[in-house]
Amino acid sequence: MSLLEVRDVTRRFGGLTAVDNVSFDVHEGSIKAIIGPNGAGKSTLFNVLTGFDQPCEGTVSFKGSELTGERPHKVVLRGVARTFQNTQLFEEMTALENVLVGRHARTKTGFLAAALRLPGTRSEERLARQEAERLLRLVGLEEWSESPAADMPHGLRRLLEIARALATGPTLMLLDEPAAGLNNSETSRLADALYRIRDAGVTLVVVEHDMGLVMEISDEIVVLDRGSKIAEGPPRLIQKDPEVLRAYLGQEADDE
Amino acid sequence: MRAKLLRFTPMALITLAIAAGPLFIDDRYLLKVLTFVAINVVIVTGMALLFGYAGQISMGHAAFYGIGAYASGYATTTLGLPWIVGLFAAIVFSAVGGVLLALPSLRLKGHYLAMATLGFGELMKIAFIEAQPITGGPDGLGGIPYPRIGSFEMAAPVGTYLLAWGIAGLVLLLVRNVVTQRPGRAMRALHGSELGAMACGIDIVGLKVRVFTVSAVLAGIAGSLYAHLVGFVSPSTFSLHLSVILIAMAVVGGSGSLAGPAIAATLLTLVPFADAIIPGLSRDALALIQDWEADVYGLIIILVMLFAPGGVSGFMRRRRAVARDAS
Amino acid sequence: MGGSELLQFVISGLKNGSIYALVSLGFTIVYASTGVINFAQGEFYMLGGMFSVWVFATFGLPLPLAALLGILLTAAVGVVFELLAIRPRKDGDQLALIIITVGGSLLLSSLARHFFGPDELALPAFTAGPSVRLFGAAIERQTLWIWGLTLVAVVLLNWVYNKTKLGRAMRACAIDRDAARLVGIDTRMVVTVSFALAAALGGLAGLSVAPLTQTAFDVGARVGVKGFAAAILGGLGNPIAAVAGGLMLGLIESMSIAYLSSTYKDAVSLGVLLLVLFVRPQGLFTRSRKEKV
Repeated sequence: MSLLEVRDVTRRFGGLTAVDNVSFDVHEGSIKAIIGPNGAGKSTLFNVLTGFDQPCEGTVSFKGSELTGERPHKVVLRGVARTFQNTQLFEEMTALENVLVGRHARTKTGFLAAALRLPGTRSEERLARQEAERLLRLVGLEEWSESPAADMPHGLRRLLEIARALATGPTLMLLDEPAAGLNNSETSRLADALYRIRDAGVTLVVVEHDMGLVMEISDEIVVLDRGSKIAEGPPRLIQKDPEVLRAYLGQEADDE
Repeated sequence: MRAKLLRFTPMALITLAIAAGPLFIDDRYLLKVLTFVAINVVIVTGMALLFGYAGQISMGHAAFYGIGAYASGYATTTLGLPWIVGLFAAIVFSAVGGVLLALPSLRLKGHYLAMATLGFGELMKIAFIEAQPITGGPDGLGGIPYPRIGSFEMAAPVGTYLLAWGIAGLVLLLVRNVVTQRPGRAMRALHGSELGAMACGIDIVGLKVRVFTVSAVLAGIAGSLYAHLVGFVSPSTFSLHLSVILIAMAVVGGSGSLAGPAIAATLLTLVPFADAIIPGLSRDALALIQDWEADVYGLIIILVMLFAPGGVSGFMRRRRAVARDAS
Repeated sequence: MGGSELLQFVISGLKNGSIYALVSLGFTIVYASTGVINFAQGEFYMLGGMFSVWVFATFGLPLPLAALLGILLTAAVGVVFELLAIRPRKDGDQLALIIITVGGSLLLSSLARHFFGPDELALPAFTAGPSVRLFGAAIERQTLWIWGLTLVAVVLLNWVYNKTKLGRAMRACAIDRDAARLVGIDTRMVVTVSFALAAALGGLAGLSVAPLTQTAFDVGARVGVKGFAAAILGGLGNPIAAVAGGLMLGLIESMSIAYLSSTYKDAVSLGVLLLVLFVRPQGLFTRSRKEKV
């Protein structure tokens, strides 16, 4: 049984079929990439996998139980975290607070307990804080701890969002174009962070355009084109797949 | 340890000054006005949670104020129950009203809550007028007794003053606890980015409903205090005009802190009663202030939203940042 | 209930419905170009009547001229309001703008009280004369004026929307403001024009019903809420839906007076508002499904 099973997922918007009968598995402990030319349906698929959108047909299963139809926060509670293409940080809150909010999924102090300072709230807060600080150190952002997220440079914002996603204690993490806008050294730093995360026991699914990064870190790649899956396999096979080349080269010719 | 003590000193001094108020002030009118300030601090703290932390707007909060006032008034007059039951009834009914309104409204996009609360507020005003057997109709409900705690009657002006400020203090303390811990962070996250909040496992609809309900309950508590202070409630009090004034107080108070809205509530409540704090104020001057009260409120809302959207909270934050940078 | 009695209620419903339709159009036009609910719309209704009465009484101008000036003055207030209170908030934060319109509503009605006084004011009927009889029901002449003026306004608006460059620009903004800006449309001007139109329409409603109901500085809120309910009922953002919603709300209200009791007529329109918001927030006549979180 795979960690994530995607079966015949289809998503239509009126007359447009954005995702057409896509199926694949994600195995525990691996790094899987989803690639494809623009308009291939990667973002739509991503939103379906993370609960931010519902498929018209098909199912998504996580650890053997159905994930389709769950609302986004429930998906997170099940252990599936995500990042965003346009980072959705809490700009007015500090980096530490941003990551702390990520711990929301694994803590439980509610309104009443907080108001009355019931026993357990203080230790829960302390432990959450420790975990948040640890994660900031993990991604190398501890010096930004007390700075508002709005003040952070672009290259580090994604790392912060990754740290926040890790704070939710996921088994599976989906990243939406984490390398977008990063230069070579930042991308390299990102790759290292991703390896560390994988080694810590989190399975990764990455939607990406940066082919260098994709070929380097992925164990398996799924290629989408115009909503359908056209290829799946390890990087060295995908690189030579004629369908993939046609999809990309054809796309580039259209873009000229 | 010393740092903690230093941080609490201003709060302790303020608390002491407020508690000792009746010892220095024997002007009954002033004490009553200050009691009103406490009542408004309670309701505006609720508005601050809703607006300043969760970024939502309610245009019908006067309705919950009224529900609390009528529930408490009815319980203590027609049913003859003790004051504490009246307060409890105020809390329960405003909570129920809050949940019933929030659940369907908050599933929808941002400003739909504003619309639904407007409709609800106007509907409740009609209900207050029409439900004659409970509310006394357009003539209102009178003869509401002073609160009794045990054998103590908390009469105006001192008893009600102490009770109102005691409850206001408790409310501020409890809400501050909420705001500085997990729920408060979740609210600020919600305000910062709804998508980001969802990705952190926050049930944003549930959170919005909870925040709205808490703010409705605080309005209900304030309503109960009001009913027992004034002894009489009539439907004309709980109008759209009042809801807009509450919005003004929340807006001036600003977002992200509780002190700002409390200060705003204090200042704005005192202005129409300026003759209580300015002893030499002429009748004409007071009449002028009261005549232009609504215009000023409208103008303040616009000016603050355009030029100082952080309100008093933002102002205090900037001063703290300047002080921090200077040290 | 007899046929002519029912007809009377229908006529009354369509009369009020026309007023609600105009106010509702005002809401919809501003919403379409800014995404903002302008809570000051009711005050434009109030100002239409107040300015017309003031011009008529103070300067002794003939009624049609006074009415026209009333509309123009109201539109001017709309423009000034937009320029001073809306435009400066450049980030277009919708919640902030809604709050600003709430403040504007309070400011406009209290300024009206200072300027025009607290009393009710009356405007004479546009044409004197007895009511017209139709199948046993009576239609007041002013009602015919209301219908006529509403029809003219709707036709004019339709022409502007579909046959002019301005209308095209407004429609583009309604679909996607950023895209409109990118193709060179002056979105700021569209916003200002929207406010001017909304104010003019609201003002027209106010002055045309003033001979029947009297006008005062505080009439804006109640009619504003109803016009708003009508806009929601029809579906925000669609002018045809706004008019349909207005007429429908007028009829619903009228029928509730006929079959229930007149005490609850306001409650009925509020109930309709809440019902639509909770059950079908996009309104009856629009197909948009983007309303849920």
